[in-house]
Amino acid sequence: MNWLTRLLGTRTDTASLDAALRDAIASWEALAAPELGSAHFETRYVVINTEATGLDLDKDRLLAVAGIAIDREHLSPHDSYYAPLEPDAATALTNLLTFAGKGPVVVFNASFNRSLLERALDEHLGLTPDWTWLDLHWLLPALYDEHIDGPARLADWMKAFGIETFQRHHALGDAWAIAQLMLAAQARARALGLNTPRSLADLEHSRRQLRRHG
Amino acid sequence: MPAAASEMLVGASSDFLTRFSPFNRMEPEALEFLAERATLAFHARGSEILTPEMGQPTHFHIVQRGKVQARQLGPASVTDYAAMTLGPGECFPIGAISAQRPSTNAYVAVEDSFVFQLPAEDFLKLMQMSPVFHVFCTQYIASLLNQSRQQLQSTFAQRAAEQQTMTTPLGQLVKKAPIFVTPDSSIRAALEKMSEMRIGCMVITDAEQKPLGILTQSDLLPRVVLPGIDLQRPIGDVMTATPHVMSASDSAYDAALEMATHGVRHLLVVDSEGRLKGVVSERDLFTLQRIGLRQIRSSIEGADDLEALQRASRDIRQLALNLIAQGIGAEQLTQFISALNDALTCRIIDLARAKHDLYGIDYAWLAFGSEGRHEQTLSSDQDNGIIYACPEGTDQAALKSRLLACAKEVNENLAACGFPLCKGNIMASNPELCLTLEEWKGRFGDWIREPDPQALLNATIFFDYRVLCGNERLGDQLRGWLNRTAKAYSNFLRLMASNALQVAPPLGRIRDFVVEDDGTIDLKKSGARLFVDVARILALRADVASSSTVQRLRQAGNRMGMPAEEIAALIDGFHFIQLLRLRAQHLDTEHDAPGDNRIDPDKLNELDRRILKEAFRQARKLQLRLKLDYQL
Repeated sequence: MNWLTRLLGTRTDTASLDAALRDAIASWEALAAPELGSAHFETRYVVINTEATGLDLDKDRLLAVAGIAIDREHLSPHDSYYAPLEPDAATALTNLLTFAGKGPVVVFNASFNRSLLERALDEHLGLTPDWTWLDLHWLLPALYDEHIDGPARLADWMKAFGIETFQRHHALGDAWAIAQLMLAAQARARALGLNTPRSLADLEHSRRQLRRHG
Repeated sequence: MPAAASEMLVGASSDFLTRFSPFNRMEPEALEFLAERATLAFHARGSEILTPEMGQPTHFHIVQRGKVQARQLGPASVTDYAAMTLGPGECFPIGAISAQRPSTNAYVAVEDSFVFQLPAEDFLKLMQMSPVFHVFCTQYIASLLNQSRQQLQSTFAQRAAEQQTMTTPLGQLVKKAPIFVTPDSSIRAALEKMSEMRIGCMVITDAEQKPLGILTQSDLLPRVVLPGIDLQRPIGDVMTATPHVMSASDSAYDAALEMATHGVRHLLVVDSEGRLKGVVSERDLFTLQRIGLRQIRSSIEGADDLEALQRASRDIRQLALNLIAQGIGAEQLTQFISALNDALTCRIIDLARAKHDLYGIDYAWLAFGSEGRHEQTLSSDQDNGIIYACPEGTDQAALKSRLLACAKEVNENLAACGFPLCKGNIMASNPELCLTLEEWKGRFGDWIREPDPQALLNATIFFDYRVLCGNERLGDQLRGWLNRTAKAYSNFLRLMASNALQVAPPLGRIRDFVVEDDGTIDLKKSGARLFVDVARILALRADVASSSTVQRLRQAGNRMGMPAEEIAALIDGFHFIQLLRLRAQHLDTEHDAPGDNRIDPDKLNELDRRILKEAFRQARKLQLRLKLDYQL
């Protein structure tokens, strides 16, 4: 698929999806927005991760999506989701929406993951979620500058915390590592008085600003 | 497909676990069960994962990464280590969770740590399910028991040693060589010596070192400073002549008695020829008070009639007053009072039980209100109730009337021992307060669902319950249910919060304090209660099992990310107000006398006034937090 067909052709209208998916999307849309001012121990964060054919946003395609929830500062293996986009991308993505709810969502490296996922959601479901995205790529160096004092790769952060996973570069395998990093991020944030999703979003925002101007 | 994802993650957990014993030997289905139910949490370096104050552990923990230290708490350690470090694959607490009792250790993350946790009920299921795990746990507990038996022996040895100190001759208690001057020395010289040697009193002797008089620090103000005495004058002019003297062969106990009888803080110890050997101060005898505590305790435990218990009750009151006089902190003091009153109540229940046949009835005696919070002062009246189990096929009315008859006797005996009957009839002998677990849930549930003003008031008394004796599990089950239910009704917590904010700390804009018409501040209504009410809401919200205000603030504050210094400041503020209340009652111990809990801030010294102001500021801070949380 090249950029032209992507631009012109295959964008789906929600109306063309089958009834079950339409219902699922409708009930996802009806969900209330999350309370961004509540404490971490009252919040369900959803770590989302993607797997693509490569790292080039222009050329590469989304292969699989994964999600792991961190509910009230706990990571349960049962509150998780994984699906390849083949053979049925619309179902895979709709189920991801159902799993993630209205967020807040957590990713590692939003510039890649978020873009890729938003494009796929738009293409297959014709929608763009209004999630609050938190990016550990920015948050981790802000919270744990004694480990790494600037944006770094996931592998570096895993090494810093001694985190292992069952399969690297697999959507769920990496999500498992990212979710553990998020647990650590929450605890440090709490110690710094950043008690809510909103305060994490603010921290990320100011980090990005600093980077831009600094 | 969500199933596929959770299978992969469960697989990751079980792969991890099989690297360690006993999990590597565990039956596959048991391992699967464990890996499926374990959730992962992160504990920052220095944070407490489990402490004795958290009550019965709700989870079994397995370290995934990092280091967790188990620290022995309290004066007597149960095991032969003071601190033990647990690394990946190691788990805790095995003994506490099997026995369903609070942990004796504090478990603290000494590195940033990831720790799996398994709900307690799943731990028990796992024990049943897996013979390998069962053997592992029982062997562990057996080794603990062995250690604790040894410990018990050394505790006895320690106790015997303490008994000795009480009978120790004063001659052995005096450690420092005596410091003294003759009566013709100048006051200045004597004072300089006191200051240089850092001593609280100066002894004046004749040439043969036989005591003639004493001058203490507290004599200085009225006798030297205020009259403006010339410091060149001899000290003999201002000393207290014929000081209290004890023989070196008298016991420490005799000395304590002498001090208490004559209201002095220093006694001179002389040898057989009447020469000064040294000085014993009230502080030197402080350890004696700890023995006093133990003696009262054992006299309670040995009491077999009401009269003996009444005596013990008077001793408790006296001990409390002595301790206040010595300036002991409010936290220890209320703990002492609470521990002794608990022992007394349990003994009264034991004695009543012997007369009323309660065999086979599963019940627990509940304490409510300040007693439930471990915050009893010297003038708290009784607030108690009963929770019991009524097995199917039992005649509930008959069972209940047996409990009520026993409770009536307990209530009356408590009253005879100085705990006044509750005017509002919040007592276990009230049929409305002798209920099964289900009935209590119904009662509490009604208040939570329909929080009218009376329901909210009830919540402030009854939600602070704790099990004083009997089957603790009944209380724990109710607590678990209560915390879950209250949390689910956010409107209830909101109304509780708005109720808690009705009374503001009595801080003035112009004057330091806002006082009532009679010029006093009610330290209960406008002081302690401000902390107590907020702590209760935080505990419900953060699912803290403890009923004590300090523990609630500490544990809920931690969970909510309040900085440790901030929590400590709040707790200090609360303690100070409690201390002032106890001091006020010390002066006026008449029950329900109008002076109870009231202080006139103008009569406080400057330091106390400042601390009180700070304490109220802490209360204001706590209220502000609640206001923001609930947008009130």
